[in-house]
Amino acid sequence: MITGLLAALVIGYAVWRVALGYPSLRRSYGALTRGEVAFVSAAGEAMYPAGGAIASSGLDADLPDYVDRFLRASAPRIRLLLHLLFHLVEHATVFFPAPGRAGLRRFSALDAEQRVAVLDGWADSSLFARRLVFTSLRAVLTMGYFAHPPVLRELGLAPLAMDTPICEADLLYPRIGEHPATIGLTRAELTPPSDGIPLALDGALRPGFAEPRE
Amino acid sequence: MSWPGEGEVRVFAQYDRDIDDEADVVVVGSGPAGAVAAKELTDAGKRVVLVEEGPPFVPSEYEFEGGLSMTRTMREGGLRTTRGTTMPTMQAIALGGGSLVNSAICNRAPEFVLDRWCSDFELERTSRKDLDPHYDAVGEFLGIAPTPEEVLGRRNLLFRDGCEALGYQSEPISRNVRGCRGSGECFTGCRARAKQSMDISYVPAAIRGGARVLTSVRIERILTEGGRATGVTGRVVTPFTHKPSHRVRIRAKAVVLAAGCTATPVLLQKSGDLANRSGQVGENLQFHPGVAIMGIFPDLVHPQFGATQGYQSRHFLNEGFKLETLWAPPAITAVRLPGSGNALKNRLADIPYSAIWDAIASCDRSLGRVSVKRGSLDPVLRWSLHPADVPILSHALWVLAEIFFAAGARTIIPGVHGVAPELHSLREAEVLRDRPLRATDLVLGGNHVFCTTRMHGDPRLGVVDELGRCHDVENLYIVDTGIFPRCPSVNPMWTAMALAHRSAHRIAETV
Repeated sequence: MITGLLAALVIGYAVWRVALGYPSLRRSYGALTRGEVAFVSAAGEAMYPAGGAIASSGLDADLPDYVDRFLRASAPRIRLLLHLLFHLVEHATVFFPAPGRAGLRRFSALDAEQRVAVLDGWADSSLFARRLVFTSLRAVLTMGYFAHPPVLRELGLAPLAMDTPICEADLLYPRIGEHPATIGLTRAELTPPSDGIPLALDGALRPGFAEPRE
Repeated sequence: MSWPGEGEVRVFAQYDRDIDDEADVVVVGSGPAGAVAAKELTDAGKRVVLVEEGPPFVPSEYEFEGGLSMTRTMREGGLRTTRGTTMPTMQAIALGGGSLVNSAICNRAPEFVLDRWCSDFELERTSRKDLDPHYDAVGEFLGIAPTPEEVLGRRNLLFRDGCEALGYQSEPISRNVRGCRGSGECFTGCRARAKQSMDISYVPAAIRGGARVLTSVRIERILTEGGRATGVTGRVVTPFTHKPSHRVRIRAKAVVLAAGCTATPVLLQKSGDLANRSGQVGENLQFHPGVAIMGIFPDLVHPQFGATQGYQSRHFLNEGFKLETLWAPPAITAVRLPGSGNALKNRLADIPYSAIWDAIASCDRSLGRVSVKRGSLDPVLRWSLHPADVPILSHALWVLAEIFFAAGARTIIPGVHGVAPELHSLREAEVLRDRPLRATDLVLGGNHVFCTTRMHGDPRLGVVDELGRCHDVENLYIVDTGIFPRCPSVNPMWTAMALAHRSAHRIAETV
């Protein structure tokens, strides 16, 4: 009886540590669970903290929003692998504690310094598979960070505005999912091909990447 | 569907019933090889159906952000990797295939490579002299020419300067581009419509000639009767989700496979292990594994400006590698930087001062295999970097380091496990030359794929003859890079198109 009760307590505690107690969400996500949102936010904050050479942080970049869009656009197998990746890093510290006090918690519950230390542990591991996990996680977070236009603007890497000539192919192909009847272009609307004039680095930015007007 | 008629392209929104069509030739795959074959066959007066699993992309759908771009334009979201030695490798799924999202590099295979192909694989008509007329024809159609100086940008010019300082041969890369503006966006789709990707060049030309192009159609099986190919069957698939719907059957007098080096063997295996009396279908998988180094310069480089890959060095081809400049969407570039936290952010801030140069290697001893993933048409790629090939990549890294420091770099980021994340002098970089490396120490990229349906003069040792005809099935042809008997040591697109051009003329004579 006592043994059973103890076992139930241990299991209940483990379930709580692994799966429950995440903060509620302020918006809905199509692919990420509440726990995954917490993990991505925490990992993004550790990977791209406030301060340093670039003003925007991982929190500013709203990485869960990007990761959610990325997952929804991904093939089912890739989606599954990414879910597993997030859970692996999130819960590894439940079994292998992070350095410092109270390190036996899931990743998103660790303090900032511990999170960085945990990520460094994955990055610098002598095991190739562990390094691969880190590289994969960082790749997703980095793509999300760079999907934030202020980051690109700050680095001077935002794409420049550019005219797109209308060529013969534009009379043939509609947008994906649409019928050719929606093309709405005629041969008379073809424009001269690219003039080959190099883009000016101080030119206007591509719409969507320019600084929003006040 | 009826015939004859004007050439046309059909897209997913137009399919409302099963398709049963017939043609002289059905071409599977609209990448560089398939598109060339389709256009040449229509020019020869043949009724051609060109089938592509991906959709056509228009410029307003190009995603600048690298990750989302890959999920839309690449199979398995661009996250396909090899088993064995883990290495990412990509295959596009779009009208125009890889040409939509590659950097348009066009190199003729070196004479010594083709001579070895001929001598080692019993080929009689595949020397440079034999292929030059086909290279010329494709080159003229696509406007293949060296990258103009005004759109090289500093990232490419620094490479030139470094090579010149060391006495290494270098040259502007020839590309299938007309009117490049230096946006550096080749990998996510050229908004300037300057890159002559197949969807805006060969495919429209094929349609003008009367070809029917069926997009969002996945071919799943080659039909045969009495030892001859009689057509193909497949399904309409929803763009991006690949959900199958209407059935497709196309009967044809000849079938041309250009589905790509990893998809064509799967299609043959799914078709009852077709054309495989030699046992070579899916075997001999080769890549040009690549490594790259990022260099940081004291002054702004503005790496986002300039031809994506505008300069190269073929100085070391005989030693097994080719060097080239590189730019990718910023997010993809950033992925290779080491560290996390503010250390990582500080490194990201160096990107405007950086250039990335890479090496692609000829690793003839590193072989693999393509097989079918159970319950799927996706391939399983098993491939291992042979330990004896690792020194080629180490040597390439060392030479890249030399060029960076000769060009004035203050720091290089080699991205090699066990080596300091940043090296600040050539002296420090000697570790790349002197330290024995393992495959797992390297961050590899699986560029270009070859040899899985290789050509060989002896039907017991190869899948196709040197004109692309399957030894076992006389009216079944393969024209993608799977027919290369060995890696070509340089970027393969122009060679694949030249071989397809030659095969198409042969097919036109026989159909």
